Amino acid sequence: MHASTATAGASARTGQEVAKPLPAISDFNRPFWEGTRLGEFRLQRCKHCGKVWAPNGPVCPHCFSDDYRWEKMKGTGRIATWVVFHKLYHPSFAGDLPYNVAFVELDEGPRVIANIVGVPNESLRIGMPVKAVFEKIDDEITMPRFEPAGR
Amino acid sequence: MGNLRDRTAIIGVGNNEYRRMPASVSPLVPLAAAFRNALDDAGLQRDDIDGILVNIGTPFGVDYDQVSEAFGLDIRFSDQTWTHGRQMSAVLGHAAMAVDAGLANYVACVCSINWARAGTVGAQGQFQDDREIGGAHFEHPHYGMTSPGGAWAMAARKYFDRYGATSADLAEVCVAIRKHALRNPQAVMKAPLTVDEHQSSRYVCEPLHLFDYCQTIGGACVVIVTTAERAQDGPRKPVYITGMQGMCAGRAEATGSRPGLGIHQQDEDYPVPHPRDLRIYEMAGVDRKDIDAFYTYDAMSSIVWMSLERFGFCKAGEAWEFVKDGRIGPGGELPVNTNGGLLSEAHVSGWNHIVEMTRQLRGECGERQLPDPAFLQWGTNRGDSLILRS
Repeated sequence: MHASTATAGASARTGQEVAKPLPAISDFNRPFWEGTRLGEFRLQRCKHCGKVWAPNGPVCPHCFSDDYRWEKMKGTGRIATWVVFHKLYHPSFAGDLPYNVAFVELDEGPRVIANIVGVPNESLRIGMPVKAVFEKIDDEITMPRFEPAGR
Repeated sequence: MGNLRDRTAIIGVGNNEYRRMPASVSPLVPLAAAFRNALDDAGLQRDDIDGILVNIGTPFGVDYDQVSEAFGLDIRFSDQTWTHGRQMSAVLGHAAMAVDAGLANYVACVCSINWARAGTVGAQGQFQDDREIGGAHFEHPHYGMTSPGGAWAMAARKYFDRYGATSADLAEVCVAIRKHALRNPQAVMKAPLTVDEHQSSRYVCEPLHLFDYCQTIGGACVVIVTTAERAQDGPRKPVYITGMQGMCAGRAEATGSRPGLGIHQQDEDYPVPHPRDLRIYEMAGVDRKDIDAFYTYDAMSSIVWMSLERFGFCKAGEAWEFVKDGRIGPGGELPVNTNGGLLSEAHVSGWNHIVEMTRQLRGECGERQLPDPAFLQWGTNRGDSLILRS
C-alpha cells in the first residue's frame, strides 16, 4: 500500500474519520492473531499427514483429521498474483487509493491474501520474493503485511 | 441410472423491461411482470404452478415464501439458493429433476434482482464478509479486499502473466458481446464499444477496466419447466433440457478462475479440459462441434476466457486468441452470449441468458436470430452446464 495503513482514513464522502475494518477474531482463527502479535505468521499443520493449509479451518482439508497444531511459518514466499484497487469501496481506504491486495504463495505452499508494502504498485510482479512484516494496530490486533525480500 | 436427456423442457419464459431501478423498488415488482409474461408464454394459469425455485433472496432478490404469498400461489415444492449469483443452471437442473420425479408438475424458476437494494456490491459490512474464512470472492475487508471484482482481477492478472495476454486482448470479449447487444432491443447498453474506449476507460480493480465489469442493472426472469410429455400441450415449441451438469466446488475451484490457473489454493498442474467437465456432451449425445452458440456468466469479461477453456473450445491459455477475429461475435463461428450478456444486456444472474437461449431455439430473435440453431450450451468457469435443443 502506498499510504500508511493506520487504523483510520478520511471518508471521501463525509470527510469524517472512518475506522478501518479489523479482522473478526473467532474461536478458530484466534491463534493466528495471537501469532501476529508475537511477529509470527502461523498456519495450521496436520499432525496426521503433516501438511499445512490455508485458509484456516477446523480440519485438515487434505486428510480430514482434526488433530493439528498452529505452527510458525518461515514468513517468506512469492507474489502469486495481485490487484490494485482504484475504486473506493470501504470509506476507510480513501487515503490509500490506489492500494494493492495480493495472493502471496508462502514457501510452505498455501496462498494467503495480503498487502504488499515498501514497494510502489508499479514495481509489483508475479514471482516477486516477499517476507512478512508486522504492523501493530492496537493491543489486540497486529496486521501482517509483506515486503520485498530481495532474494 | 436414468438419463434425463430430453425428458424435461422449458415451456415458458418471461422477463421485465430491463432498466436501472432505485433502491425503493421491491424486486417483487419486476418479478410480477416477468411472472405474468412467463405464464402467458407457457399458456398456463397461475394455479398450474405448483413448484417454485428461487435464485437470489433478500436483500437483492425475493424469498420463496414471500413470492408465493404475494402472488397467491399454491406451492407443493419449493427451494431457494444462497443469496448469490452463479446458481442459475443448478436451479434449472433441480427443477428438471423435480418434475421428472413427480414432485411438481410445473416449476417456476424465479430470479429477481435489484442490485441497488444493498448498496455497493461487495462493500465491507455485507453478509458475505461474515463468512468465517473469507467472502465468496475472497473478501477480506481488513486487507481492503472488499469487492467481487477483486477476485476476477486476481485471476485476470495471473492469466495475463502466464499466457502472455493483455488487457487489450480482454477488451475483444467486451467488444464482441457489445456487438450482440446492439442487435437486442432489450439490452441496456445501446452504444458501440471499441478496444480503444475499453483501454482508455478507468481502472476499477486493476488490471480490470470499467468495461470489463458487467452492468449492475438487474431485472426479473421466470423460466417454467415441466416434463417433455406435458410440454406437448403448450402453445410454443418446447425447448428440451438435453444435458445438464452441476456446479463444481472444492480446492480446485476459485472465484474468477478455472481449475489449474493457480488462484487461491488451486493446483496449477491440472488437466484442462478435465474429462469430468465434458460429461455433459455424453449426456446430451452431442459433440462440442454441434454447439451453435455458447452462453456464460459474464459478470466480468475474463470469465468468457475461463469458460471456453474449461469446456475445451480451445486449449488452456488460448482463449485470448480464440475470441478474436469475430469468432464469438454476431455471425461468428461460436457466438457467445447473443443477448449481450451480463456485460451489456442486464445482470439477471444468467437467467436472462436462459430466456435468450429459449427464444433463439424457438426462432424468435429477429435481427440477432441464429440460423436454425440445434443445440445451445450454457457453461461457466465453475463447470456447471446445460445443453438445450428445440
